[in-house]
Amino acid sequence: QTVGISGKVTDADNAEPMTGVSIKVKGTTTGAVSDINGNYKIMAKPGDVLVFSFLSYQRQEIIVKKTNVIDVKLNSTSSDLNEVVVVGYGKSIKRKDVTGSISSIKGNDLRQTQPTTFDQALQGKVAGVVVQQISGQPGGGVSIQIRGVSSISGSNSPMYVIDGVIIPPTSDPGNGGNPLNSINPNDVESVDVLKDASATAIYGSQATNGVIVITTKRGKAGAPTISYDGFAEQQLRPKELPTMDLQQYATVINARSQVWGFSTDAAELANPQYLGKGTDWQKALFQNAPEQSHTLTISGGDVKNQYLISSTYFNQQGIVSGSEFTRYSVRVNLDNKMTDWLKLTTSLQLIHSGQNQNATANAGISNALSETPNIPVQYPDGSYGGNTNTEGWVSSVANPVAVSLITTNNQTRNQVFANQSIDITFTKDLSFRTELSGNFDFNANNSFSPSYTFGTVVNGTNGGGQGESQDISWTLRNFLTYNHSFNKFKINALAGHEASSDWNESVSANRTNYPSNNVTSVSAGDPVSATNSGNVGLGGATESYYSRLNLSWDDRYLITGTVRNDGSSNFPANNRWALSYSGAFAWKISNEAFLKNVKQISELKLRLSYGLTNNQNVPGNSYVGLLSTQVNGLGTAEFQTQLPNPKIKWEQTDYYDAGIDGSFFNGRINFSFDVYDRLTNGLLLREPLPIYSGTTTGYSPGAMAAPYANVGSMRNEGFDFQISTTNISNRNFIWRSDFTLSRNVNKVLSLGNGGSDASLTASDGGSGQVAEKTVVGQSIGEFYGYVFDGVFATPKDFQTHALPANQAGVPYPISPNSGGIWYGDRMFKDLNGDGIIDSKDETFLGSPLPKFQYGIGNTFTYKGFDLNIFFSGDYGNKVFNEVSVSHTDPSQTTAWFTSVLNYSRLALVNPNGSASDVNNVYVTNPHTNIVSLRNDNTNENNRPSTIYIQDGSFLKCKNIKLTYHLPEGILSKIHVHSAQIYANVTNVFTITKYVGMDPEIGSWNPLQAGWDQGYYPQPRGFTIGANITLNK
Amino acid sequence: CKKSFLDRPSTTLISSENFYKTQADLRLATANLYGGSPWWQWQQPWLLLGDALPGTAFYTYNGDIMQLYSRTITSQNGVVLSGWTGLYNVIGQCNMVINAINQSTSASLTPVIKNQAIAEARFIRAMAYYHLAVYWGAVPIVTDNTKLVSNALLYRNTVSDVYKFITIDLTFAAQNLPLKDQAGRVTTWSAQGLLGKVYLTMSGWGHSGSRDQALLDSAAKYAGNVCKNSGLALFPSYYDLFKVQNNNAPEDLFSLQWAPGVGYGYGNVLETYYSPSNKINFGNSGGWETLQPTWDLYMMYSAKDTVRRKATIMLSGDHYPELDQADGGFTAGGNCMKKHIVGNNADNNSPTATLWSSPEDFAMLRLADVYLVYAEAILGNNASTTNADALTYFNAVRARAGVDPAPMLTADTIRRERRVELAFEGQYWIDLVRWSYYQPDAAVAFLNAQDSNHNRQPFSYDHKTGIATRDTTAAPAATPATINSYTMQIPASELSTDPKLAQPPVPYY
Repeated sequence: QTVGISGKVTDADNAEPMTGVSIKVKGTTTGAVSDINGNYKIMAKPGDVLVFSFLSYQRQEIIVKKTNVIDVKLNSTSSDLNEVVVVGYGKSIKRKDVTGSISSIKGNDLRQTQPTTFDQALQGKVAGVVVQQISGQPGGGVSIQIRGVSSISGSNSPMYVIDGVIIPPTSDPGNGGNPLNSINPNDVESVDVLKDASATAIYGSQATNGVIVITTKRGKAGAPTISYDGFAEQQLRPKELPTMDLQQYATVINARSQVWGFSTDAAELANPQYLGKGTDWQKALFQNAPEQSHTLTISGGDVKNQYLISSTYFNQQGIVSGSEFTRYSVRVNLDNKMTDWLKLTTSLQLIHSGQNQNATANAGISNALSETPNIPVQYPDGSYGGNTNTEGWVSSVANPVAVSLITTNNQTRNQVFANQSIDITFTKDLSFRTELSGNFDFNANNSFSPSYTFGTVVNGTNGGGQGESQDISWTLRNFLTYNHSFNKFKINALAGHEASSDWNESVSANRTNYPSNNVTSVSAGDPVSATNSGNVGLGGATESYYSRLNLSWDDRYLITGTVRNDGSSNFPANNRWALSYSGAFAWKISNEAFLKNVKQISELKLRLSYGLTNNQNVPGNSYVGLLSTQVNGLGTAEFQTQLPNPKIKWEQTDYYDAGIDGSFFNGRINFSFDVYDRLTNGLLLREPLPIYSGTTTGYSPGAMAAPYANVGSMRNEGFDFQISTTNISNRNFIWRSDFTLSRNVNKVLSLGNGGSDASLTASDGGSGQVAEKTVVGQSIGEFYGYVFDGVFATPKDFQTHALPANQAGVPYPISPNSGGIWYGDRMFKDLNGDGIIDSKDETFLGSPLPKFQYGIGNTFTYKGFDLNIFFSGDYGNKVFNEVSVSHTDPSQTTAWFTSVLNYSRLALVNPNGSASDVNNVYVTNPHTNIVSLRNDNTNENNRPSTIYIQDGSFLKCKNIKLTYHLPEGILSKIHVHSAQIYANVTNVFTITKYVGMDPEIGSWNPLQAGWDQGYYPQPRGFTIGANITLNK
Repeated sequence: CKKSFLDRPSTTLISSENFYKTQADLRLATANLYGGSPWWQWQQPWLLLGDALPGTAFYTYNGDIMQLYSRTITSQNGVVLSGWTGLYNVIGQCNMVINAINQSTSASLTPVIKNQAIAEARFIRAMAYYHLAVYWGAVPIVTDNTKLVSNALLYRNTVSDVYKFITIDLTFAAQNLPLKDQAGRVTTWSAQGLLGKVYLTMSGWGHSGSRDQALLDSAAKYAGNVCKNSGLALFPSYYDLFKVQNNNAPEDLFSLQWAPGVGYGYGNVLETYYSPSNKINFGNSGGWETLQPTWDLYMMYSAKDTVRRKATIMLSGDHYPELDQADGGFTAGGNCMKKHIVGNNADNNSPTATLWSSPEDFAMLRLADVYLVYAEAILGNNASTTNADALTYFNAVRARAGVDPAPMLTADTIRRERRVELAFEGQYWIDLVRWSYYQPDAAVAFLNAQDSNHNRQPFSYDHKTGIATRDTTAAPAATPATINSYTMQIPASELSTDPKLAQPPVPYY
């Protein structure tokens, strides 16, 4: 009994009628379109489902009941200006009412790239946010900088707020791991990135580097919805760095032995032509590896109580054997409206994750590049191969494949994020929220290194350790909110107090001399060898008072003001409290009379903001001397572990931002453009002092930890731009594009008391020379070194090029003997023209910071198919190819890159003449940059130079994803609400001039950024997945 | 919240605000200055710079050590860097202790208690600056590391002011250290002995041909006081002096204190790196960079000088019953250093010692050294001496070694005696630098003669015939020495960090 249904379709936001909305009876061909007044008519029978759809609006489905009139309000999706933005402290507002600079990304967009951790997915999707992968290992770390490096204290990462639970800015976990890897990307509803001071000031002292607010999915009133998301991925082994095969290796070794006068494996390698290819160690270490993820979500509820429960299993095997990441997580989100005036909100997440960090911990990749091809991975009897040469100088590398398989280095983590809040509504306008959130982190790690013998590489003593730690941090917040409208005037005010505190406990134990390599619990080790350590007690604490005021008039002028006073335990009592404040103004130009009737402009808004924010990012107790107990021949002794700085205080940032947001042609073009200027004073930093200070920022036994200090000032200026367009839209085909572009210019303005001579440096481990230097007037951490100018190849080169000199300024002699400079040594440019090469000829060689970072996304929808292609890239940055230094130096026992085959070949002009006569020698391949086979390095050929500092620009196709939405007609018959299947490729290809494995190199330390030390590459992966939602 | 909510003291480390309150605290703080991590980075440079630079020790398979041996040291040399770092680490720890004690207002600390602890720290600081002055010449003087937080970049101070600074520290130490203390801790005799040695070193600086007589007199005064009035005597057996069981013998005026069982970065590693075989090592590991004696050292031993020879260097075929006792002793397969090679865990009944933690407490200042300093100070600017005191103490050293007394002393006989007595104790380069101050041409010629005579080379030794042979056909192993060879370069990274170090040194006083 088909009946006529009629109704009106309006925009949920402004109640205006919507024209041209498509209405269909689900599973049939019956359809209709709304008229100019939003009215429609259609024939259907009770039980049918009506589907209302319109470009850029959320599709809505309504079941026909007995009534004949169905009015529908559609919610906009694509107009970014209508989306809801989280601005902190219980408040969500529409994007069009935002005064600060905030970028948002929906959970669905986030999951396009199949990220292991949610932060990986922000790359190129959010303007102003520079995301760089630190390690491609499963669950590996990501560095995130919002609008440049504002702080040089090691951590520039933003503050994370997950459903109100504060995760402080993360710092280097030291193992390539990612502290955020326990958060399940499938649970994420949206991510809001708060950038300018107006947006972040309410979060106070830990927010100076920006805030990333993660909101998880919540249940909605209605029948239970059950959905499943799952995918399986195969990750491919990465590109290999070119290393010599056995024949090439033998050729080089034989040639070198002849020059050096002593040999390694003379007999074995005598006739290269009879040798095979030998072992390809990278091939042996890298593998194709699977990954899988399964999430089941159930949500629903009634008007008063809503719930969402999701459970996930995720497993990623590493492309380097000996690495793996597994995560189990359960999320429970509850919303209970107990009475008219009382609401309870609960967010709870339980996580168990396990990470095998063996591959990172054992420097497997670097060992694979150092191991020689004449050593087999395994002998026929199953034992592992190793160097058998007994000459002491042959440096022996432990078989990386064996080490990754037989050693243990596991980290297990159990984590609970919990937030419980109570909202009390006193009157229509006045409400109060009290909120208690906690982050409970329980970690265990367990490691064991067995004794082994791989040829001459002997680990005579096995050893193992276990550690347990608990970290509990809680925050208690109480605040009042007042809302009122007087005609055209609206006010929203907030005031509150907050306190947070950490508590931690840890214990670890280590032993050696286990009777067997198979019994690896600490109890099995030799009790005499036992060492242990532990800690119980309070960590840091903060306390804050804050208030925020939002005013708007006539939906045209908006003002936001924030004041916050923060106290932190990280500072001495007299410097403990700091005041932050900000103000912002927004003008909705499109609501002015002169634009109101311009149909093409849906929204146009101008934003201006200024704020002063403070940063407390130093560890506690840096202002007092600390002593640790050590043992020496006299017995117990107290060692001074750090150089204190009793004057340490807050770091301050002045932050200006101007932005414009627009939406044109009924939402077909949305854009946002911001320019900003951040000036940071009193930079907090663990200050790398000269060695004579007895301190270190790195590893130096016996040195004190360098002091934290307020050092100088720095500016970050730039812009970020984001645009999304709907290029083509018709009934069957839609093409949408997204583009983000970020530009940041960093400049160091002062480095404190050191004046113009002051610098902060990072030295290359191999040469011991400074490779990155931070000085006033340049950007932070610029590469520093010499300009390579070819090798000494002709007698003329010795006349035209300066020679390196000793400290007294006397050039080293031209001589093939030890202590001389000779053919095949590298020439460097004498930049100061004083006739010698010394540290005065070093110069700045570029910055590891990209000039631009960008992202380009395109989505094509054709009938039931979606195709998503996403690119991201960096432009204008340099990378220090540090891994190539030792692997391209023929005088080292690790130089097995194939480029070494092109070592400088010396020849005599007169074959009967002297080989030590400078006029009788030349280099036959003068265009090489590899030195000769001479056993002398007086020239310091490996000093950091333009040879190793390489262009790191790249364009990476991060993913291509094809999704198919199964037809509703089929689904409705099997009670499936929606179903899609997809195939995805991640890290599809990279276009770059960089010759290392991957130019994308993140770092925790801005003073030592962009160093490619042979780290764990990001794999290419092929994924298939499905997404099914069942409805009652 | 309460005001105290934001007070969060460390729960694992002692805050210096709560320390330095009792004598026991001071003893714990000063104990740290005697060994372990503060001295860790200097131990290898102490031996390598002291004995490879002057052609005593030979090893060429390691680039850094080869550079020392062949005088092609670059500004990146790891041994030089480690040495510079290690000495300033020691100085930093000393400064922190000295300043904290000075600032302590605890009523339980009397001036005597405070001054003794400060004197220990100032002695050790002086020891570190002495090595800096000898090796690098002009260096920056740091006395308060916390001041570097706000003013990090220093100029170098002149060599004479660095020495003056050292003598002021040592004079304070000599006045405030006790006559006797726990074994291993320094006494006034340690300070007076070092003060004598420092005055002797200073006496030639800035002089040409001869030395400053007043400083020579000071050297003789302090060294002589130790010789005559300390009540200390040479340990009876030269050979046994270097055994672990005789750690901190009364003869040792200052020796580094190493614990067994500590990890990498905290313990004595000399045996592990430089021994000839891992069988005679702790944890049966190491022997990576076996140090060999040169021909030049070998030739210093007279026929009768067998005790010192065997305690100092192993010749091919030598049998050492105390090493690897479980296998019936160790027979050397080649020539190598013997000092610091003390055997494995079982040999020393030291089950917890590891490859990173030999329990050998090696001396940086011995009474025998002070005896020879005394003799040299008396000789002074004379061509020779038969002074009774000089001969008494000089010959005491020889007598203990079982060699004949010398009837008369010259600069050369003293230098030879010191080389033999103190070989592989990081001393010979110090002796040559002292010489180079006032007779640069002779000191430079000495190094070049070593090379032209192939004396820096190692040699083979036939145990059956007792004949040693060196290869005299090889090209010179080292680049020619100049007076600059006597000054180490400041590490490149340090110069980059502080360009002021490249400027001329400035006065400290």
